[in-house]
Amino acid sequence: MIARVGLSNLVRPAHQLVRPSIVRALKTIPEPAGGIVGTVNDAYIVPSAQKLEGSYHWTSERLVAVGLVPLTVMPLAGGDFSATLDTALASLLLIHCHAGFQACIVDYIPKRVYGAIHSYAMMLLTFGTMVSGYGIYNLEKEDGLTGLVKKLWKA
Amino acid sequence: MFRSTLTQLTKIAAPHRFLATTAELAPRVKTFKIYRWNPDTPEKKPELQTYEINLNECGPMVLDALLKIKNEQDSTLTLRRSCREGICGSCAMNIGGKNTLACLCRIDTNTSKELKIYPLPHMFVVRDLVPDLTHFYKQYKSIQPYLQRDTVPEDGTENLQSVADRKKLDGLYECILCACCSTSCPSYWWNQQQYLGPAVLMQAYRWLIDSRDQATAVRKEMLQNSMSLYRCHTIMNCSKTCPKGLNPGKAIAEIKKSLAFD
Amino acid sequence: MARLSGIQKEVTKLYRHCCRCVYKKPEETRPNWRRFIRGEFAKYREIPKRDFATVEYLIRQGWKRAELYAGEGVRDVR
Repeated sequence: MIARVGLSNLVRPAHQLVRPSIVRALKTIPEPAGGIVGTVNDAYIVPSAQKLEGSYHWTSERLVAVGLVPLTVMPLAGGDFSATLDTALASLLLIHCHAGFQACIVDYIPKRVYGAIHSYAMMLLTFGTMVSGYGIYNLEKEDGLTGLVKKLWKA
Repeated sequence: MFRSTLTQLTKIAAPHRFLATTAELAPRVKTFKIYRWNPDTPEKKPELQTYEINLNECGPMVLDALLKIKNEQDSTLTLRRSCREGICGSCAMNIGGKNTLACLCRIDTNTSKELKIYPLPHMFVVRDLVPDLTHFYKQYKSIQPYLQRDTVPEDGTENLQSVADRKKLDGLYECILCACCSTSCPSYWWNQQQYLGPAVLMQAYRWLIDSRDQATAVRKEMLQNSMSLYRCHTIMNCSKTCPKGLNPGKAIAEIKKSLAFD
Repeated sequence: MARLSGIQKEVTKLYRHCCRCVYKKPEETRPNWRRFIRGEFAKYREIPKRDFATVEYLIRQGWKRAELYAGEGVRDVR
């Protein structure tokens, strides 16, 4: 990025942080010259429609986020918090985190540039989510997420 | 009463009267640091070149200063400009850390601070302050920014629109495509190859809500993927930087809302 | 020969592409084209191979120019 703006000689410290040769060892797919595919007068070609990646994904993300609000407030406000609600809170939180990390990967390790590395990152994320899912399952068998937070709070 | 008005008048008139003899005023020398890069000598790294300008002899806007430098000090300084009044969008550049139009940006008269001028961030540079906007225009073309209809009015005249429908386009049609907003968006920096960016998405919205347009379904279909629209994370740099005071961030949010249960 | 780095391979790729394009030009102008291509690459021979920003810029520019010169309307170069 810095090299592209042409400031590599102005911001040296950032350069020394990671040696360019290390960054370059990661195989990336070269982008077309000047980012231009076809002639300059052709329109950019949009990818084919994938509603699951598009609006459905976005809507479900928002629904999860909105659903988390009452579920977080309820135990904080005190009062009864059933195991079912606790399970819902824990799993929605997991989905929320998964979606967040997914967005990070799509943003910073895009398939366009990193190809297979993008898929590996996604697989790693799915693996992590599954491990956490198992952790939540174990947690819920005992006193649940809210119980854990309570314990940590008192400790 | 009369006297006080008179003194005020003289005060106002004073700078004009002395305009021809600016030498009498104390010079206000402001330092400009301008990004320079020449494609003919690619092995030479880009650098900031320093110019000094007496603000007494220069117009109030950054573009005036740039043209003064080009006229009097260094004719090799390259920049785009055309209308000098904020309607063509040619002189978009990064001035003092903010993307804006040089013709609409006042020079900070505090002469103790230097003013740094860069081309639009994270674009390929053609030369000095001229960025390569080809891909930006290609993206604009991809949203089909023109009226699409299956039917024509029966009387063979124009497509009519109610006042209320026309009102919806206010705040959208004024965009001059200067690319200030798109190049201030971090999402656009990382993924400009695929993410359309605020400026283009705002125009997409402008055609989506046009009551005369009949290609809404196709237009919505084009945005239904993870990259084109949904890389917007409501960072809102676009609305903050827009030199025309428009709100691309809100337009993108409206698109997302209209697509939500689609 | 030493193993070429990624960016050096990119340069040779561009060079080979240019050389191949010469065969699409009229027979009599081909020597001119070869001389032109060799001259353009020789101009920047002294650039250090670690100067990535410059080399990347030149490759980018090279592809653009190659596309421009490959057009059917362009027959000769001097």
